[in-house]
Amino acid sequence: MRDRLAAAVKQSRAGYTEIRVERIWSSAVAFRGRRLETATVSEDQGGFVRVLNQGCGWGIASFTSLDELPAMVARANELSRAVRLDEPIRLADTPPESADAVLELDGDVRGISLSEKKQLLDRYNGAMLAVSNQIVDTQASYRDEVSEVWYVNSEGTSLYQRRPEVVVSGTAIARRNGTIEKGLESIGLRKGWDSVQGFDDRFRVVAQRAVDLLEAPRVRGGAYPVILDNELAGVFIHEAFGHLSEADFVYENPQARDMMTLGRRFGKPVLNVGDNGAAPGLRGTLPYDDEGTPTQDTPLIREGILVGRLHSRETAAKLGERPTGNARAISFRHPPIVRMTNTYIAPGDTGVGFDDLIRDIPLGVYACGAFGGQTMLENFSFTAGWGYMIRDGKVAELVKDVVLAGNLFQTLDRIDHIAGDFSWNQMGGGCGKGGQFPLPVTEGAPHVRIEEALIGGDV
Amino acid sequence: MIDRLLDTARGTVDGADALWRREERTTVAFESGRLKAAGISEEAGLNLRVLARGRMGVAGTTAAKPDPAALLDRARASAELGEVVDLAFPGAGTAHLPPISTFFERTADASLNTLIRMGRLLVERLARPDCQVNVSVEREVADTAVGNSAGARGEYRATGIALTADITRIAGDDVLMVYDQYVGADMPSDADLETLVRSVETRLAAALKVVTPPDGALPVVFTPAGLAAVVLPLEQALSGKTVLQGSSPLAGKVGETLFDERLSIIDDPLTPGRPASRPVDDECVPSRATGLVEHGVVGRFVYDLETAARARTQSTGNGRRGVFGKPHIGYTNVVFRMTDGAHVGSESHALGGGLIADIDDGLIVDDLIGVGQGNVISGAFSHPVGLAYRVQRGEVTGRVKDAAVAGNAYDLLKRIGGFGTDGRWLGSRWSPSMRLEGVSVARR
Repeated sequence: MRDRLAAAVKQSRAGYTEIRVERIWSSAVAFRGRRLETATVSEDQGGFVRVLNQGCGWGIASFTSLDELPAMVARANELSRAVRLDEPIRLADTPPESADAVLELDGDVRGISLSEKKQLLDRYNGAMLAVSNQIVDTQASYRDEVSEVWYVNSEGTSLYQRRPEVVVSGTAIARRNGTIEKGLESIGLRKGWDSVQGFDDRFRVVAQRAVDLLEAPRVRGGAYPVILDNELAGVFIHEAFGHLSEADFVYENPQARDMMTLGRRFGKPVLNVGDNGAAPGLRGTLPYDDEGTPTQDTPLIREGILVGRLHSRETAAKLGERPTGNARAISFRHPPIVRMTNTYIAPGDTGVGFDDLIRDIPLGVYACGAFGGQTMLENFSFTAGWGYMIRDGKVAELVKDVVLAGNLFQTLDRIDHIAGDFSWNQMGGGCGKGGQFPLPVTEGAPHVRIEEALIGGDV
Repeated sequence: MIDRLLDTARGTVDGADALWRREERTTVAFESGRLKAAGISEEAGLNLRVLARGRMGVAGTTAAKPDPAALLDRARASAELGEVVDLAFPGAGTAHLPPISTFFERTADASLNTLIRMGRLLVERLARPDCQVNVSVEREVADTAVGNSAGARGEYRATGIALTADITRIAGDDVLMVYDQYVGADMPSDADLETLVRSVETRLAAALKVVTPPDGALPVVFTPAGLAAVVLPLEQALSGKTVLQGSSPLAGKVGETLFDERLSIIDDPLTPGRPASRPVDDECVPSRATGLVEHGVVGRFVYDLETAARARTQSTGNGRRGVFGKPHIGYTNVVFRMTDGAHVGSESHALGGGLIADIDDGLIVDDLIGVGQGNVISGAFSHPVGLAYRVQRGEVTGRVKDAAVAGNAYDLLKRIGGFGTDGRWLGSRWSPSMRLEGVSVARR
């Protein structure tokens, strides 16, 4: 395949040409309540061509029919030439790479029968349903894939990557009269069959929580000291800060560049943030990004100061910085854009635990788990799965509908304590940007304390 | 392709249906006012569903030359694990499809230069100092064919064009984003482009000044875009799927008046000129309109073939399927129809749709952050504002930040304070602004 792509690149009349071909083997099983929804095996494949000419813009073609590869290279070249630019697009230099980067399959999902996958999911789904007769509905899904990606460009890079993935997730819906609550579990790994066994308890726990939430009061809206658990702290750093550190947000925008000037203070010295696409074994991990740049650990905030950002080759060239291996596409249907990989808040002192964070809080909220998060640059929202009130330095009653609304700059600056209990949170789902969803990412964080944050809800 | 596939399936399974779709998309993208990229994408795929010994299975492929036998084998393997379902494929008798224009030649034939010109016009009209303007133009031509073993066939071509404009203004640490779009099956007219420009300008101009948010239970005008948080729970609860699962709060409420009596909601696949319109659904069921809510009364839930079979009712023609996976329920055009006589048209583009004159203190909400997260179907929502304006003594006084709104969609829609005169399409939903009373507004 690589030879075939190299030949097509060679025939291209464009200044710069890259071709990416993907073949994705996947299987999926889904339950809704006690009923099996689907059990399928799918094969998806296609190609992506992107070219650049001197004084012109990007020409892009994506297609499912690989027979048309040479024609698509020619089409992309025509499209590029139709886009006239005064200021040329430049790509930061990266040394040509040639490699077979084959991630460990950890139990090849292609060798496991669909009925075994159904049995596993049936068990997890059953564990949720068995919790209570107040669990009126569940959604459970299993999905695995082995994706093979070939990438060749006209600068001599030639790569073959194999990326496995497996995701098991479940939603338990509890209902009592008009009140409906849900509990959510999701495990997403860049691994295989062996890594998703033995999670029965985790599914039981979320179903029980959905039942418990039926009786829980809604949190009262207002400003509180807030402790984020590891999962929510990870979602927070991804949503609230991570997206701003993607250089495509600033590279064409002088005002945004001013706002995100390297050296600006973003938080107290306790705060350290980074993005590490090379961290071993995580869902956001990949040896090379979709421009053939090796991934790396990129510090973004060091001791409260902005020190870096995430780049593609284009944004790096424009800002005179180095590519960081963050140009990613969700599939051959899309161009690579600047994305996160495994984003983290680094742990504080190992001696600092959760108890140290809540001890001096008379009234606060302990926000746990994440139903999701969205950012609109300086403002963000994230929805906790559940929460507890903190009263007189102790965890008190369960509360629901905990939604954190915030302003990035204020909130980051109000992080005053970070515990030492770091963990990666490997969920399914993924990140969405520019119409590309879901991109596999991981977030990691310890418990984090925000001096004061706005919690939405009844007032 | 469909005929060949169904021929292969005949005799080996009890029944089958299939969808074939080919899509060609052309995109031009302007970034920060500059044309940066032009692209095409071509994709074809085939989805097969079979019934074998009463069990359902599916398989799909994007292979350029799909092997019918291999696809059938995969669908049968899927059916071996599948649930028993008493599915009846609609017969050939229903093949009389309603006439509906989904294909517009001038959209399909528009050259790359035409698309670039249209984008450039928008960029030029929206350009202003200190604002970054991103514009994209996307044109799609799709061929769809559906068929089943009961002899039903359907085929249509459809066009779609989407123009989106994104304005970002950063001043110090203040980030303002205004977004709007034109989506249609036919090319936008000059008036459509003018409307898009004016809509962005109006919201941008009113947003330049930042004011303190109000606090308390207040009247809030949700613009057509801002309504998403209120509409989403309804769309979930009116789906036959959630009704069947027992998770819909509207289950068992058909015929009851649960909403303001002036409110009707219709799923209408036959609206001319809309990209979501179609003569037939993805399971060979001829299209027709479905009254979801009629004068405040819960009308009908939407179903595809499978959920209809399980609920012992008829499909409403809301079957939707992709290349992979089984068909599922999907809305087509969701139309909010107001029946209070006075306000129906779309004659005004003033912010708030004419609903703010007697608001002493309140908000206009145009965008909320995080809609769709959380426990949507319960109707409860709580979101920080993405773009919202304060209304004081009947006038827009500026943009508010650092505020959150919360409420319950079902409760708020029981008594609607008014319907705006600014009805418009937003994607596949048509609605005016709605004024809702007693919405919780929290500020920092």
